[in-house]
Amino acid sequence: MSTTPSNSGFSTSEEIHLLSNITTRPHTFKRPYKTTTRRYKPTKQVISDEVKYLQSKENIKFDTPTYTSVGAPPSLKPRKHYCDITGLPGKYKNPANGLRFYNVEIYQEVIRNMPPGVDQEYLGLRGANVILK
Amino acid sequence: MPSSTQNPQKIYSLRENESPASPEPFYQNYKEGVPIALDLGSSSFKIGLTNSTSPNNVFPTLISRFRDRKANKSLTIIGNDIYRDSSIKSSTKSPFDGPLITNWDYVEDILDYSFEHLSVTSSNGKVNNPIIMTEPPCVPFSQRKNYYELFFETYQVPKITFGIDSLFSHYANTDNYNPKTANSLVIGTGHESTHIIPVVDGRGLLSQAKRIDWGGSQSSQYCSKLLSMKYPYFPSKLNSNHATNIVQDHCYVSNDFQEELKNYLDMENLEKNDVVLQATNELNSGAASSNAANAESKKKSEEELKRQAEKRREQGKRLQLQAQQKRLEKLIQKEQEWEYYSNLKLEFESMNKQQIQARCVQEEFESVEDFNKYVANLDKSLKKARNEDVGDGEEGGDGHSGQWTLVDIPDDQLNEEQIKEKRKQRLMKANFDARERAKQAKAEEEELLRKFEEEQAEWRARDLEDWCAVKKSELADIITKITEKAKLLESFKDRKSMAAQQRMRNIATLANDENGSTSATSRKRRRNANSTIDNDPNDTFGTNDDDWNAYRDITNASLEEQLEEDNQAVLKIEAELLLYDPTFHHEDTFNASQKFDWENSTLHKFIHGPRENILVKLQTESSQKNDGKLLEPEELENHPEVVQRNHQMHFNIERIRIPEILFQPNIAGLDQAGIVEISENLLYHRLDGNFQPGGQSYNLIQDVFLAGGLVKWPNFESRIINEFTSFLPVGAPLKVRRAKDPIVDAWKGMQKWSQTEECENSYVTQAEYDEMGPEYIKEHGLGNVCLK
Repeated sequence: MSTTPSNSGFSTSEEIHLLSNITTRPHTFKRPYKTTTRRYKPTKQVISDEVKYLQSKENIKFDTPTYTSVGAPPSLKPRKHYCDITGLPGKYKNPANGLRFYNVEIYQEVIRNMPPGVDQEYLGLRGANVILK
Repeated sequence: MPSSTQNPQKIYSLRENESPASPEPFYQNYKEGVPIALDLGSSSFKIGLTNSTSPNNVFPTLISRFRDRKANKSLTIIGNDIYRDSSIKSSTKSPFDGPLITNWDYVEDILDYSFEHLSVTSSNGKVNNPIIMTEPPCVPFSQRKNYYELFFETYQVPKITFGIDSLFSHYANTDNYNPKTANSLVIGTGHESTHIIPVVDGRGLLSQAKRIDWGGSQSSQYCSKLLSMKYPYFPSKLNSNHATNIVQDHCYVSNDFQEELKNYLDMENLEKNDVVLQATNELNSGAASSNAANAESKKKSEEELKRQAEKRREQGKRLQLQAQQKRLEKLIQKEQEWEYYSNLKLEFESMNKQQIQARCVQEEFESVEDFNKYVANLDKSLKKARNEDVGDGEEGGDGHSGQWTLVDIPDDQLNEEQIKEKRKQRLMKANFDARERAKQAKAEEEELLRKFEEEQAEWRARDLEDWCAVKKSELADIITKITEKAKLLESFKDRKSMAAQQRMRNIATLANDENGSTSATSRKRRRNANSTIDNDPNDTFGTNDDDWNAYRDITNASLEEQLEEDNQAVLKIEAELLLYDPTFHHEDTFNASQKFDWENSTLHKFIHGPRENILVKLQTESSQKNDGKLLEPEELENHPEVVQRNHQMHFNIERIRIPEILFQPNIAGLDQAGIVEISENLLYHRLDGNFQPGGQSYNLIQDVFLAGGLVKWPNFESRIINEFTSFLPVGAPLKVRRAKDPIVDAWKGMQKWSQTEECENSYVTQAEYDEMGPEYIKEHGLGNVCLK
């Protein structure tokens, strides 16, 4: 192939153009024109469309696996607690904001001097933050 | 201390993604009709013709589209080519949004690019090769529809078939795979999600498969969040490639998470657990020349600084002199006043009460008490003033009493010149007297001190033990006071604490008083309206020492001063104890007990690893070398070792915390069961739960197969063995194995499978697609099921 870029990494824009040309030139294996313009849908919408699509089908058997049905169920085991700051076992909990902590040092040095909002960031790491809408 | 002699820790640099040495290869052996196997993963894209045993192209599923303004042309750069130029990296995008493909234009571009690299050529405007490709388990209908459209309409491929990546990986790793009897429990970790799929009698049992929404991408995002919160002021930015590489290189699965976690930060464990990550900074990025220039300019400024300091000192001296002069004048005035009033006091001795009263009023005092108070105050302030100035008494005090010849001569015997001179002399005489008195007072004090010392020495000689005990109890008293005050000071920080509220109340009452409220004191004050707060005769404030606490309650500054005083007292007593008490050592001092013990500080070890704080270390080293001289803050800040350390992160607990999420997803707030719990539930409840030979569960546990990129983490297999053994019946024949090459094995499975009859029977042809529509697939053992 004539378009093989040199090994030395490119600094010239010529080389970039050559690399880009691999993709953008007309291809022998494809019709020369672009097919229909596609609408961009975010994943959330793709999933909700899928749910609607599944509901519209009437004769699906109850145990047919679908995108939504293969999602793992919640855990039934007792939840273990960990320190939100360090990840060590979190025996204690600050009643003011629900942050868990390992020992009194973490509480005194970190949690008590926390700037506002940081506690929510820590809680957000385990999805326990308050989301204002 | 052992730590200072420890070897330096091994340092890992933050790894960037590099472009591979060789450019993306072009395939030399293209043939029409040979199936193309294609694994379109959300992390990496693998494609190759199945007449080769390994994929021709493996590259990250990334695309960068940007406009070259000079050439006025849109450019599209894909895969590893992106890393060839740093300016392109910033605009990279993925066709995936989370687990699903959302941008099909990008997919088309990537396919164009990869078909070109496979050297696909065609005379009829079609890709004349069958396609075998991967898809996630239970993929949404719209995804497959888009695939069909893309391949059948854009590329017009003759036929296509889909399968599940982790099942292909299992297929590749199983010799003599029997499509009728293969049994396995496949755990496939992916970039966006993790699947657990039982394979029963050669078929992936998708009705019992489960998906955990956690994979490599979430792990690296979580890692990046953890690190940015652990080091909020980190000087250089951590990008997503760094985070991905940290997770890949340094994480490992803990064999027993709970146990390992408990002692993870113990010094002996931390030494091997702690990973130091070094970000690039000016020092190691080779900017030595600019550094030298910096140093020179700094030297120059140092001279300037010296000059400035000199200037400032001179100014200070002048100000001091002025202030001293002023103080002296005031002192003299006070002395004269004091003399006058002490004479008056002597006079009072020969008078009766009423006469005294009258005299007082004549002198513009309210009463005798007022007079006494005033004189007492004057006395106090005089003593204080004398003490202040007694140190520099030598300069002005060389005059003798004989010099002041004019002082005792009445004014009417002097001319104007002499009167002026006399005034001056009187001033000087008073000054001299004041100094004399101060000297005397000081000498008295010294005498007292000497006597006290003698007493102490005598006491020590008599009963050392008793003396020590008393001193120690004194020391303990002061230390309790200090801790109490420190606590009080601390509690002021909290707006809601008792102390802070008491303080607010005090301020409120004071403010109220000034506004003239109905409180008792203010009523009294209004009765004698001409008396201000300063000379109110009924005001006995200050007679009791505790009254002054009112001010202390309001300003915290005095509390700090007191703390300082107490600290001085502690030092003094400790110095005495160190000198005389043989049982009292440096380790017993208050200071030593307060000293930061980093080896026992969880937080220090978590953030700074198993080494002493570099600032403290440098300071102690410097003070040892240069007799207690400490480094300047600026010097410290630019110290190469400090700069280096500031660009370091310590990756310790996170090493096991991040992989653990696959086992306990709720650590990251994901409300799903972990892979072990799901497997247990599957083996015991959703399958037959029969662990005797012939049972479904029995067959499955003989081949637990781990696929996907995350199983490259060390200990993944042994953790699975540990956990499975704990819930399986005793003696169950558990076997766990891992894909040989977790990234490429899915492609290899497709390649191997493409030779089989099953594959031949699973293709959907263009004609079938046209007839049945996009919902139609042919089911096979390694693929999804049709909706029905």
